[in-house]
Amino acid sequence: MKYALYLGCAIPIKYPGFEAATRQVCERLGIELVDMAFSCCPPPTSMKLVHYDSWLALAARNICLAEEAGHDLLTLCSGCVNTLKEANQVLKQSESKRRKVNKALEEHNHSFQGTVEVTHILDVLYQDVVVERLIKEKVRDIPIRVGCHYGCHYFRPPKVMYPEELSDSESYVPVKMDHLLSIIGVEPTEFSRKFLCCGSPLGANVDQDAGYAITRQKLSYIQERNIQALSVICPSCFEQFDLGQIVLSRKTKDGEKIPTFFLTQLVGLALGLSVREVGLDVHRVKAKKLLDSINII
Amino acid sequence: MQEERGIMTVFKIWKHFKREELYECYQCARCTGSCPAMEVAPAFGPRETILKCLGLGYDQLVEDEKLWLCCTCNVCEDRCPQKIPISDLLVALRNSAALRGNIPGRLSIAIELLAKTGRSMIVHQLDEMRSHHGLAPLPPVPVDEIRQILKKTGLDAVIEF
Amino acid sequence: MEEIVQLKEKNQGPGSRLEKNDLRIGVYVCHCGKNIAGTVRCEEVAQYALNLPGVVLAADSLYTCSEPGQEQIKADIREHKLNRVVVASCTPRLHEPTFRAACQSAGLNPYLLEMANIREQCSWVHLHDKEGATSKAKDLVGMAVSRAAKLSPQFELTVPVLRSVLVIGGGVAGIQAALDMADAGYKVYLVERTGSIGGRMAQIDKTFPTMDCSICILAPKMSDVGRHPNIELLTLSEIKEVQGHIGNFKVKVLKKARYVKKECTACGDCIQACPQLAPDEFNAGLSIRRAIYMPFAQAVPSRFLIDMDRCLNNQGIVACDRCFQACNPKCIDFADEDNLLDIEVGTIVVATGVDVYDPTALTELGYGKFPNVITTLEFERLINAGGPSGGELIRPSDRKRPSKVAFLQCIGSRSKRSNPYCSNVCCMNTIKDALLIREHWPETEIYVFYIDIRAFGKGFEDLFQRARREGVTFIRGIPGEIIEDIDTGDLTLLGENTLLGSHYRYTMDMVILSVGIKPHKDAPTLQRLLNLSTDTDGFYMEAHPKLRPVDTTTGGVFLAGAAEGPKDIKDSVTQASAAASRANILMSKGEVSVPAITARIDLEKCTACGFCAKVCPYHAIEGDKDLGYFRVIEAACKGCGACVPECRFGAIDQAHFTDEQIVSQLDKALSEDPHKKIIAFACNWCSYAGADFAGVSRIQYPHNVRIIRTMCSARVSPQWIERAFLKGAGAVLVSGCHPSDCHYNNANQHTARRVEKFWKRMEKLEINKDRLRLSWVSASEGAQFARVIKEMEEGLKKLTPVKIQEAADKLKKAICKKREAS
Repeated sequence: MKYALYLGCAIPIKYPGFEAATRQVCERLGIELVDMAFSCCPPPTSMKLVHYDSWLALAARNICLAEEAGHDLLTLCSGCVNTLKEANQVLKQSESKRRKVNKALEEHNHSFQGTVEVTHILDVLYQDVVVERLIKEKVRDIPIRVGCHYGCHYFRPPKVMYPEELSDSESYVPVKMDHLLSIIGVEPTEFSRKFLCCGSPLGANVDQDAGYAITRQKLSYIQERNIQALSVICPSCFEQFDLGQIVLSRKTKDGEKIPTFFLTQLVGLALGLSVREVGLDVHRVKAKKLLDSINII
Repeated sequence: MQEERGIMTVFKIWKHFKREELYECYQCARCTGSCPAMEVAPAFGPRETILKCLGLGYDQLVEDEKLWLCCTCNVCEDRCPQKIPISDLLVALRNSAALRGNIPGRLSIAIELLAKTGRSMIVHQLDEMRSHHGLAPLPPVPVDEIRQILKKTGLDAVIEF
Repeated sequence: MEEIVQLKEKNQGPGSRLEKNDLRIGVYVCHCGKNIAGTVRCEEVAQYALNLPGVVLAADSLYTCSEPGQEQIKADIREHKLNRVVVASCTPRLHEPTFRAACQSAGLNPYLLEMANIREQCSWVHLHDKEGATSKAKDLVGMAVSRAAKLSPQFELTVPVLRSVLVIGGGVAGIQAALDMADAGYKVYLVERTGSIGGRMAQIDKTFPTMDCSICILAPKMSDVGRHPNIELLTLSEIKEVQGHIGNFKVKVLKKARYVKKECTACGDCIQACPQLAPDEFNAGLSIRRAIYMPFAQAVPSRFLIDMDRCLNNQGIVACDRCFQACNPKCIDFADEDNLLDIEVGTIVVATGVDVYDPTALTELGYGKFPNVITTLEFERLINAGGPSGGELIRPSDRKRPSKVAFLQCIGSRSKRSNPYCSNVCCMNTIKDALLIREHWPETEIYVFYIDIRAFGKGFEDLFQRARREGVTFIRGIPGEIIEDIDTGDLTLLGENTLLGSHYRYTMDMVILSVGIKPHKDAPTLQRLLNLSTDTDGFYMEAHPKLRPVDTTTGGVFLAGAAEGPKDIKDSVTQASAAASRANILMSKGEVSVPAITARIDLEKCTACGFCAKVCPYHAIEGDKDLGYFRVIEAACKGCGACVPECRFGAIDQAHFTDEQIVSQLDKALSEDPHKKIIAFACNWCSYAGADFAGVSRIQYPHNVRIIRTMCSARVSPQWIERAFLKGAGAVLVSGCHPSDCHYNNANQHTARRVEKFWKRMEKLEINKDRLRLSWVSASEGAQFARVIKEMEEGLKKLTPVKIQEAADKLKKAICKKREAS
């Protein structure tokens, strides 16, 4: 199993701990990663809204790099997977779009062919053969109550992101993270408005407070259910919950803060990696107390 | 539909969205009822946006700053009983808005950064931080290539870079 | 008194006989006042007709359809021994029956009448082109005369109709239809899938708008059914096979084992003894029943039954006999078996009803996850005195009475995520429910979240007003999401009040989803068995939405109740009585005549290939290779003619629309200036009617077109198209019903297939494909028909006789080559 690792911008620059955890987890589970000179995806919440053509062309460029190397793309961020999957689908389906984009790319010797697929680390880890390996390789369980926050861009719109999973009512309710974490001993816990957006795009584009207002609502639902930690699959969501709780607590004493984990950090801990190895020390809301209570250092 | 939405070089939304599709909206408000921006700005909503598109025409709409309150989370489209491409519409409206200079300050700065560096984050003592985590330095982005591509697609009509 | 303007008689000298059989055709050209005569020179046309082979008499008259006009025809038939009559006047769709009756009363077989449409399809559409109209009228008369010469007398088959009826479905519609027909004296078989009749109406607490107790008004009808000497009630039964045709259906009914004998006194001792549990379907799963149970208290038949799937004895061994021991009259019989019954009936009424929509798939509403989110059906059972809570309105989570309830409308209706249609009854049902709550528990806060309130029937608006006056709050804006407070079970609704343009957050004790209704899940099975059409939503289709709302296109099969479309009890009962009346017409007459336009097979030429049977929409052709031939079941044949073009051996033809007859029209039409003409094959129900409608609307179009009528566009044979091009026709149009509207159950799919095949042929031979056109024109699309003709005429202008001849030559060569090869 070999993938071109698409890191995006936020993780390698701001949260390299997620990248480190991911690389180690992949190595232990037999997933080979190849690095390439990718550029910004670009984000579905910024470039796409401002200039669609540019968004499509830059996304196509990234896909072309993977095509040229002959590997499917593995992303770590919901935003990246949303951009790359949608661009991939649009370009595969529309000849006119393809022609137009290839015109912008041709002088750089790139040409979109439609030969690779785009996937997210959650989907890769959820494959049967990887899960089997995980069960074999794990050295400890993580018996904590975790709320899984999938974010929005990972799975919506379902007809683009997971067309094969559409329900009778044309929706898709993802469960992969809950299932995967339960394999490593986690107790995945439901909470209200689980699939509500974290508020990050609002914070990034308009006003930080606006974004955090949405995050605050989510946090109140999470706290209602005695959830001990959050698991996310996107660095933007991570920041909303991590930095967000710090910012929000400056205004109101909102109770105890809940640490947030990136998915591969939890999986890494189960595989025996240390707290430092998965980069937990740079989180703003510390997980130390929680992890100490279950003997993880 | 997905077919036609792609290249927004001509910013007339009626070229890319069939009027009949938007007329199907019977204003049930499930979209606005699900919208995360509701927490922050009660005056914004996808339902109203569609109504305005059909009634007032999109000219006034694209000058409204509240358009940018949309998180593109796509729940509206998910819950719409008429399967109206609300999220796509909001993307198109914002593209139109950007062309007219209706674009939040923070966002133009972010786009400018992207266009100039090929990344959406400022790189600051990056290699040091990465090696702290045992990671190799990031391969550099071919900045000129990015710039040229963006010139070709016409980003400079919206943002100077 | 109308005067016949001129009468001309031809001299019967030797050599003027052109047919072997002594043809004596009489032609009548109608003026229709100024309607025809204002544009067409009728005298001239009559004169022209007189010179046609076989014509012995030609007259023009002012109003041929009038009394004197008809009398003249009758007199002429007798006096001049006419053996064919051609009337050139209005559309046959109007007066063919009139003139046929006139012929019949004069002793001439009615199928020896032919009409030429020189009004709707000539004078009215070429008002300003008198030359064109007149020459076209001559052509049309000529075509009619040629065809008349080929007509043969036909005798309509009368099929006896058994005086018995099968009603499928024991809900209120089935019950009403059964009672009406049983009271009228017919034998009724009422087949019901579950253990008791009653259907949805038995589950409802009160009905709108009268607020009657539903089971109270239904139970007497149910008893009547149970007691009626003419009704044989077959519960726990399913239809397995339906053979036959109108008047004589042979049906196999599987009567499943009940395991409880007739002697059951419904004492209920067995229930106490039974150890097995199951969710009670009648109470929408809100309570438990045993493996041995009575569907509900007022069940008819009033007899227990055993659900063998739940019973411990389902392996065929008596592992548990507690109920048997407890039963005093000893009426439990584990040895009971399924029984396959054969019944024969003359008519069938389909009243299979509806299921409710399951809102689990709408995950944002929490149904199935949050205990206090229920459906309106569950609510009916809760609030019903005979239900799981004895009529107390309680919340599933803590059995407390809710003080704030919300109804959400349009759940599973008006949506591409579930069912696109409006379910008709939900608005009124909610209003009724709200009033019931208000009546019993006046302090309850009641909210109705809606998009539109549909209160269209008698007394409905009153009820709506009453609800508003009683303080029920109506909020326009469906919640986007429902959240549960896990500690209290309370629900919070998040949405937008569209009338205020503001967001809301309402916390409720209970939420009731007003779910839509959809066709019963077994509907497709029955559809296949009875050869019915369904619409895109799965409801059975009526023969005509306005004029034949309870008939189906299968003769002898009628629809009643919600199986045909969502409707309330009043409309179901009305429709049931209507269906009973329609069935009554057939059964009281005791016989039905089949129009003599059925397909006929020449057994000698038949090679038993079976291609014709494959395309028959009514399975009216049967046979097999062993038999050596196929034959048409005349009573089941509807006369579409789709089978005829399938036969490569010329073994099958359609009576009164034979190849010879159509070809004679074609040949005559193309005998002069073929390159200027468009031959249009139009189907009787849609395209021909559409062309008529163009005439009625006086929409003008070019006169080059010559329309040839068939019953269905699937009758059109590729050989006719070939012949038309060989004879030099400028263009050919094949026009039928829109794909989902075919009068003969989608036979027009074959039309499309054949035309597409012909196009491929034309492409291969490099003949301009545009010369053959396929169009779908409905009976109301007069303008569309005119547009198509105009476009084709434009195309004609670009053709030259030389090009047409070239194409004809190419075609001829290809045909010869093919013949040599085979």
